[in-house]
Amino acid sequence: MNSFQTWIHMYLLLIRTTVRSRMQYKFNFVIGSFLAAFIQISEFLMVAIVLARFGGIRGWSIHEVGYLVAVMTLSKTLYRTIADEVHHLEKYLVSGDFDQLLTRPLPVLLALMPQSFRIMIGEVMQGGFILCWSLAGMLQAGSIGWPTVWWTPFIILTGAIILFSIGLATATIGFWTTRISELQTSTEDAARSAAQYPLAIYPKWLASFLLYAIPVGFVNYLPSLYLVKGELGAWVLAVTTAMALVCLAAALRFWQFGITKYQSTGS
Amino acid sequence: MIEARHLCKEFKTPAVKGGRFSGVRTLFSREYRVKEAVRDISFQVLPGEFVGYIGPNGAGKSTTIKMLTGILHPSSGEVRIRGLNPHRERRKAVQQLGVVFGQRSQLWWDLPVKVSYDILAHMYRVPAELKKQRLERFAELLNLPEFWDTPVRKLSLGQRMRADLAAAMLHDPDLLFLDEPTIGLDVHAKQGIREFLRQLNKEYGKTILLTTHDMDDIEQLCSRVMVINHGALSYDGTVAELRERIGLPAVITVTYRGGCQIPVLEQPGPVYRIVSAEGETLRIEADLRAMGVMELIKELGTWGEIADLSIEGPDFEEVVRRFSE
Repeated sequence: MNSFQTWIHMYLLLIRTTVRSRMQYKFNFVIGSFLAAFIQISEFLMVAIVLARFGGIRGWSIHEVGYLVAVMTLSKTLYRTIADEVHHLEKYLVSGDFDQLLTRPLPVLLALMPQSFRIMIGEVMQGGFILCWSLAGMLQAGSIGWPTVWWTPFIILTGAIILFSIGLATATIGFWTTRISELQTSTEDAARSAAQYPLAIYPKWLASFLLYAIPVGFVNYLPSLYLVKGELGAWVLAVTTAMALVCLAAALRFWQFGITKYQSTGS
Repeated sequence: MIEARHLCKEFKTPAVKGGRFSGVRTLFSREYRVKEAVRDISFQVLPGEFVGYIGPNGAGKSTTIKMLTGILHPSSGEVRIRGLNPHRERRKAVQQLGVVFGQRSQLWWDLPVKVSYDILAHMYRVPAELKKQRLERFAELLNLPEFWDTPVRKLSLGQRMRADLAAAMLHDPDLLFLDEPTIGLDVHAKQGIREFLRQLNKEYGKTILLTTHDMDDIEQLCSRVMVINHGALSYDGTVAELRERIGLPAVITVTYRGGCQIPVLEQPGPVYRIVSAEGETLRIEADLRAMGVMELIKELGTWGEIADLSIEGPDFEEVVRRFSE
C-alpha cells in the first residue's frame, strides 16, 4: 500500500503545481471556467424549455431530468479530472510518447494518469448548480426524501468508475488501431449525451444497448429509477455498485492485454 | 550489465489494398507485410563500458534500444538487464536504468523544470535529501539553475537536453540509454553534454549505451562501437579498430588555376583516389594515415598550380554505409 501512497503524493503534487501555474493567468482561468459553465447550463436550458412546455417526458418531471443530467455531468467531471490522459491516449500512441511511460517503474496506467491534470471548475459549477436545483425542487414537491441526497455522491462515484471503464476500454482499442477519436465520439460522447434523458423515451433496443453494451444507463438512469422514482428497490444500488466493479475489472484486464500489442512508432 | 541473446523483431503491418473501399478492406484483411527490423542480434555490455551504437536511419537502432529498455517485446530472443528480464519484470528492471530520447522530453511540458524533478523523485521513490544532493551535483555540472523555474516548453533545445539528462539520472541508475542525445544541438551544447556523460562514465562508473549520427560523439566518448545495418550487427569492437578497418578517408577538394595534369596513378586505390573531376576542380579521397597531409599537398602541387584547397573529415554516414557493403 506504501507505493500507492507515494503515488497519491505525486498526484497531489501535480495537482497543486498545475493549479498554481494556471492561476498565473487568473483572468483567463476565471473567464474560461465561467464560459464552460455557461455553455453547459444553456445546453440544459434548451432541454428545460422543451420540458417546461410539455410538462415533462414519459412521466419524468423537469427536476427529475435535471437530476439525470447533473449526475451524468458530475460523474464525467470526476472521471475526466482524475484520468483525463486516458481519454487522450491517442496523442501518446501517435507521437510515440507512450514509450516513455513504459520506462517508468509504475503500472503504465498509473504512469499515464499523472502526465497532466485538468481543472474543470466550469463543469463542477454547472453540474452542482443543476443538482442542487433539482434536489431542492423534488424535496419541495415531496417526491424524494433526504436519503436520496445522501446517496447522490455515491452514485456519482460509481458513475465515474463506469465512465472511466468505458473510456479505458475504448482507449485500449487504440493499441490495434492507433486512431481512436472517432470511436470515442460514439462510445463516450454520444452514449453519454443519450443517457442524459430517461432511457424510457428510447426504443427498446437502444435502451438495452445503453444499459448492457455501453453501460451508461447504470451511471444515472438505473439508480435514479430507485432514488428518484421510487421504483424497483434498494437492490438497484447494489447492482449498480457491482456493475461498476465488474466494468472496472474487465476494462483493466483488457488494457493489460492491449499493452502487450503495443508497437511503438518509427524512431 | 546488458545481455542480448538472439534478439529479433518483426513488425507486421496490414497490407494496404487498392481499389474500392480499400480502407475498410485493409482493416479486415488478414494479409500482412512483415518487416524484419532486427535480425538475430547478440551482445554483452560489461559494467563501466561506454558503447556507441551506430548505423544509418532505419537500420534498427531505436528498435534495439526499445527492446533493451522493455518498451517493445522482441519477436524472439531474450534481454537481461542486470539479470532481470525487462519484459517480465519491467518495473524492477526500469528502476535500474535511465533513458533519454533526444527527440522527445520526459519532463512535464507546462510545469517548471524543478517540479518535474519533484514528480520524478516521487515516482522513483528517491528520498528528499538524496534528491537534493544529486540535483546540487547536476546543477553544477549541467548549469541547471539558469532555468530552474522556467516551464519546459520555453527551454531551448540545449537546455532541454541538459534538463532531461538530469531527470534520467535522478534515481541514480547504473545504466543509461541515450537515443541521439546530441541531435540538433550546436557545437557548444554538444560539448557540454559530452563532458557530463564522460564524467558519469569515468568518475561514477556508469554504464552508457548511446546511439548517434555524430562521429565526434563516438570518437570522444565511446570505448566500444557496435554498427548495425539492415537489422544485423556488422561490427562490434573498439573505435580504433573500426577506424583501422575502414580507413576513414578524408575528402580533399582542389581547384587548379589553368587546369592540371593528372598523372597516371601507378597504384590506384589504397592511398588516394579521384572521386570526380569537374573542370578545374578535383575531388580526391585519401587515407591520411598512409600519406601525411603535407606530403599529399606536395604531390597535388606537382599536378598544376593550386588555386584553392580544402580538406573535409570523413563523413560518418558514408563510413557506415561503406562499412556495411
